[in-house]
Amino acid sequence: MRLMIVDDSNMIRQRISRVVQGGGLPGISLVGLARNGAEALRVARATQPDVVTMDLTMPEMDGIECIQELLRMLPRTSILVVSALSDKSTAIQALRLGARGFVAKPFSDDELKIALLDVAEGK
Amino acid sequence: MESLNADELKLFVESVRDYFRVVARQEPQITSAFLATGELEGHDYNGIVTFSGSFTGHVIVSMPGQLLKELLVLQGETDLSQGNLLDAVGEIANTLGGNARKTLGPALQISVPVRLHGAGGIQARVRKHPYAITLRWNHQPAVVCIDMEKR
Repeated sequence: MRLMIVDDSNMIRQRISRVVQGGGLPGISLVGLARNGAEALRVARATQPDVVTMDLTMPEMDGIECIQELLRMLPRTSILVVSALSDKSTAIQALRLGARGFVAKPFSDDELKIALLDVAEGK
Repeated sequence: MESLNADELKLFVESVRDYFRVVARQEPQITSAFLATGELEGHDYNGIVTFSGSFTGHVIVSMPGQLLKELLVLQGETDLSQGNLLDAVGEIANTLGGNARKTLGPALQISVPVRLHGAGGIQARVRKHPYAITLRWNHQPAVVCIDMEKR
């Protein structure tokens, strides 16, 4: 499984990278990083990720718009939203648009690993 | 325009506790939560999110570099540059602001964070009488300023 991480915070991009590269997620390898939705579409076109972690509040293009554009371009991609917008209606909106899971910030490494595995396995 | 009520202010106190509990596995000591009447003393690194929609105003997280370095090291980060410390304080402000929607509702719109370096950063955005939450974590002080009103 090829993973792309989309978040405007370097701290979060690096944290998710370390979780993925630190073991416990067999078969998932990092192929791309992006700082906003517009960059995510460019990186996705080049790297064809199977799984994407997606922040929602980002400059240039937010996560909600990016989910729609990304799934139009790569409909088989599984998207895990990782966002501080933890209200129920935001989560439902993201899932209705085609995201497969939702992790609220702040998150623990274990929470993220479980959610990533679930999304990657199509649960 | 109406100020926040006690329950709404409490949600920010709980969000601050939750952030440290999850990320640092150690709760901060909340030293006070009060209506500020004078100038607030800030720290070198400031993250600001702006609210619109059902509320207007800001949440400002003001932290010293040492606290941010310790939080980053706990997360395995080795880049402790000024840019990364500013990124971290912005992300903390984004998290506290975003979590507020769970209680304050989805009509609350939240900006991407702005990051300011310099202890005067907290005064740059604050209006007259904001709520201030002061805390200590791992011997380091910090301030979270809640400067918002209902529309």
